[in-house]
Amino acid sequence: MSTRPVMVWIALAVLGSAATAPAQSAREALVRQSDIIFVGTVIRTGAVAAQDLPASPLTAVVRVDQVLEKPEAVGLVEGDSVTVQSVKQGSLKDGMRATFYTTGWIFGDGVAVREVGHEPVRAQFASAVQQDSVARARQKVNDANLRQRIQAASVVAVGRVEQVRPATLAAAPGRPAPITEHDPEWQEAIIQVEDGIKGAQSGQRVVVRFPGSHDVAYVSSPRLAVGQEGTFLLQKATGAPLTLMAGQSVPTYTALHRLDVLPKQEGARVRGLMRSP
Amino acid sequence: MRATWISVGIILFAACKPSDKGPPPPPPSPPPPSDHVVVHAQVVDIIPRRLSGETWQDAEPFLSLYASNPDFLAASAFTPNPGGSASGTAPIFVSSDGGATWSLRNTIPSETMTADITHAVGRSPRELYAGIMRQPDYPLNELSTSDFLSFVTMTRLARRDSIDQPFMRAIKSGNVERLYVGLNDFAAPGGRTATVDLSLNGSAPFASRRIETRNTLGQNGPSIRPAPAEDGTVYVAYLGWRSAAGSTIQSDVVVARDDHGATSANPFRDLVDPSDHLPGRLLARNVTITWSNAPTMGQERIGSTLSLAVDGLHSENVYVAWGDRVGNGDIWTVHVRRSTDRGATWSTDVRTLKNATAPSLAVATNRTVGLLYQQLTGSGNTSRWVTHLEQSRDGFATHQDIILATVPAMTPAYQFLPYLGDYNFLLSRGNQFLGIFSANNTPDSANFPHGIVYQRRVDWATHRLLDRSGAPVAVSIDPFFFSANVLP
Repeated sequence: MSTRPVMVWIALAVLGSAATAPAQSAREALVRQSDIIFVGTVIRTGAVAAQDLPASPLTAVVRVDQVLEKPEAVGLVEGDSVTVQSVKQGSLKDGMRATFYTTGWIFGDGVAVREVGHEPVRAQFASAVQQDSVARARQKVNDANLRQRIQAASVVAVGRVEQVRPATLAAAPGRPAPITEHDPEWQEAIIQVEDGIKGAQSGQRVVVRFPGSHDVAYVSSPRLAVGQEGTFLLQKATGAPLTLMAGQSVPTYTALHRLDVLPKQEGARVRGLMRSP
Repeated sequence: MRATWISVGIILFAACKPSDKGPPPPPPSPPPPSDHVVVHAQVVDIIPRRLSGETWQDAEPFLSLYASNPDFLAASAFTPNPGGSASGTAPIFVSSDGGATWSLRNTIPSETMTADITHAVGRSPRELYAGIMRQPDYPLNELSTSDFLSFVTMTRLARRDSIDQPFMRAIKSGNVERLYVGLNDFAAPGGRTATVDLSLNGSAPFASRRIETRNTLGQNGPSIRPAPAEDGTVYVAYLGWRSAAGSTIQSDVVVARDDHGATSANPFRDLVDPSDHLPGRLLARNVTITWSNAPTMGQERIGSTLSLAVDGLHSENVYVAWGDRVGNGDIWTVHVRRSTDRGATWSTDVRTLKNATAPSLAVATNRTVGLLYQQLTGSGNTSRWVTHLEQSRDGFATHQDIILATVPAMTPAYQFLPYLGDYNFLLSRGNQFLGIFSANNTPDSANFPHGIVYQRRVDWATHRLLDRSGAPVAVSIDPFFFSANVLP
């Protein structure tokens, strides 16, 4: 995903309130591109909070009033001063209070973030309201991401992994499979479908290819194990789309994205997302 | 003869009690390893203070330093963007105070982190080049920036698929920068995949020069290690994989050389082996490579271990280190050999290190050679990874050794492989060796005999890592920068 700055802050600035539907929609766009979100007060524009950063007309020192979202590793607490690189020169004013939607930029003794956008906070809105608004926006974004995976999937099913076996993939003609530490070491899981939500029937068995390698390149890919239950979002395999199961040639699917293997109880949510617009 | 390295670390310790205000007081100094002072060493955990909560496996570190400004350093590891994936960038660590403190900047164009990364400095005071395997899909990206301290995402110079282990080196030639990127190019014809991507002006396009001159089992080993010298000599070491039975590979260790900066259309042909008169000197033949992409030595994988260092001012002096399985009960053994005649003839092993990996060699301006490596000692849950820096002034006829770190090998459990890294990196500048390695980050001064500095928050009394709020943080693998003075 790119860091395209979104100018929806303008709309949010006009709308101000956290309650309107258009504002919530714009907020979702900001949340989608953000990984650090906080309510803060602009202390000084054209300045920086850390020594090794050059100040510019785009930078501002912002005091963190409330952290709404951040990765666990990042040390950011109320009262911290952070450097914010704004999207647009002049968009931040000294004393302004806003919800800042940002991506992490520099982490040292201090923190610097790149603004994706900001949303002015009216004094009458309690922190809890801001937190709730962002949490609802994040839920919407998560749902949208999952819905996208569902729509792209050929098979969506709740099921149980019955068997895992090494995949037997033929190398390209005249070109042996390379020996590399980044070899995915493809495995195939045979999944017994308990509840076919899309593209599969209950009782059917489907073959799912996944990287068995522990190489760093696959650290985010789901790994399947015998007995594992889950809700599986499966794409048709490319390259070698067929495999053998019980002597029959059958299509093979993949589950490579972290959203492709969900807990079994997520099946109901997945079914609900398929129904909702 | 192996002399004990005697040293006193410059110990700049951190806190005895949890505090988030200023540098914490030091724990008691460990006793020096011996009774006369030869070397000062300093080790710094480069995870920044504001990432005190991080628990990632920051493996396979790499280091770049700027000859023009000793305060400037860049480092990398398999460190994810701590902010998450939204920005589509991966981080690089930078220091502008000689490695005393580090910050992390998300300026590498790769989603969250890279699958491989190495880098080298350019001719201008802040220029940096990088070779990465980019996420997603892992294509090679060759990158540059005119200012490694800037906040702008690095620029892509070139891209292509189906490669492994880009290893970036650079050297100034006149007014231009020459870039040599060793890589294993699976698209190379005839299974001769050892390749150096070459730019003679520090920009695209890169020319892919095939180095292997003999038949292979279908490819070369992943590690291709170029090393340029000031006089235009460029060496490159590679593993000539000849045959395989299952995961056991028979390999030659080969060094090629070009005497003119590899500027010709058919470079790296200046060093011929007397046995077959083909370019590429076979300094070791038919060694046994045990390819294992699973935890095999402690929690580390093995299979492609290679380093080459040339004396930058006297290019006749060159050292190579590689790993193989000897069969004497070892899991993996590192060998070091030396040539003093531009690779024409080679010593037998000047160092043989059982159950060691990730060797990195560097030659200082006074011709002292440094060897950084990590060695597994003990067994089972009491095993340890011991990180050594050896130095020798006589081509390893004698050497001195310091232990930079000795840490538990079985904790933390691996998140992925490599556990510590398929390589570390060692460089020299003036009278210093500077390097980087990854290790268990338990804040225990006994683990770092020459001293240790943490930026991240720690509680020395309880040997615990702490997050910003003071809550305990699980032990993980961190990158450690070090500097040590060169033996005079």
